Amino acid sequence: MNFPGQIAVIAVAALAAAGATYLIKGPPVRQLFCDTATLKPDEICLQQIPAGTAVLWVDARPRTEWLKNGVEGSILWNLDPAEDMLAFEAEAAVRIAENPRVIVYCSDENCGISRQVADRIRRMDLGAEVSVLRGGWRALSEAGRIRGARSPR
Amino acid sequence: MKIVFSIWLTLFACTHAAGLDFTETRKELHAPEDAKVVTTDFDFTNHTDKPVTIRKYDAACSCIAVKIQGGKLRYEPGESGVVRTEFDMGNFYGTVDKTVLIWQDDDPEAKPSITLTAHVIIPTLVSIEPKTLKWEVNGKPDPQTIRINMAYTKPIKIVSVSSTSEAYSHELKTIEEGKSYELVVTPLDLKTPGLAIYRLTTDCAIDKFKVQQAFAQVRRPDPVTAAPKP
Repeated sequence: MNFPGQIAVIAVAALAAAGATYLIKGPPVRQLFCDTATLKPDEICLQQIPAGTAVLWVDARPRTEWLKNGVEGSILWNLDPAEDMLAFEAEAAVRIAENPRVIVYCSDENCGISRQVADRIRRMDLGAEVSVLRGGWRALSEAGRIRGARSPR
Repeated sequence: MKIVFSIWLTLFACTHAAGLDFTETRKELHAPEDAKVVTTDFDFTNHTDKPVTIRKYDAACSCIAVKIQGGKLRYEPGESGVVRTEFDMGNFYGTVDKTVLIWQDDDPEAKPSITLTAHVIIPTLVSIEPKTLKWEVNGKPDPQTIRINMAYTKPIKIVSVSSTSEAYSHELKTIEEGKSYELVVTPLDLKTPGLAIYRLTTDCAIDKFKVQQAFAQVRRPDPVTAAPKP
């Protein structure tokens, strides 16, 4: 078989495999899925937090995003050097005294800031139980737990 | 047989196309205590046999400036480049990870294929231990101590201590002027939960170490640890 023929056979085989996968497994899942089996020790899936659970949400995104669509009742704590870290600490201390169950979120699973913020909250040694939300704000948004959030794709 | 081998080879090449190959994707940087900006370069080469384009790059924080050498985004096979990152350290000290995300060609929006991390370490000149003093409601109002130690070539003196609560008394003891101090805190009322925030102002020439914070807390016993053992 000549070269173009071989290319054509490869292309047909690849298309057939892709089509079969689509038919059997369905279209690619674009919605965030949180597998509890793959969680790191300090992480939590949103489905593990029943709606209505008393949680102190800590938003680790930039201030503009927190103001735009942060979780209601959340406090801001990001690592922007323009922010006042002492003020973040003080606000967190006051709120943790009221509710020691703390969950930190940033924009999505690519954002590593929430884990660093969680570490800083733990280092305050206020006896808080601190977790990082897998999927971050995107998970909250897709679950419809943010007012004004876009509906899931 | 030749066809089968070609299919395997094609699929192997597709699944192993790594794109740009960075010498290091994580760097540890030791910055001086007064560092305002920390700069580091991440070198890369296109080791694939096709051009690779950096479609997008982003930092999770406005405090990071990302520049790609010469503004060049498309790299031919064998070509090299540099991603230069500048981190505004502001009032940070201790350790902080600064990350930059890079999307190549067909990377999905939600999953960039490259994450560059700078693990920055800035010396802590003023250490406070423990950060929080704790008493339980209806417990014993014994005094507790926060130790403050300076780790700098020059002395750092504590010039004032303020508290947000009158439900505690405090006394600052100088162990060694400019080097070591103790803040002794005593709760005046253990009937109700409460929190005091202590602000310790120093004469440190570096702004980020001028004010430090510690906490004193009266709290209800933890229901788990307070429960009587069977």
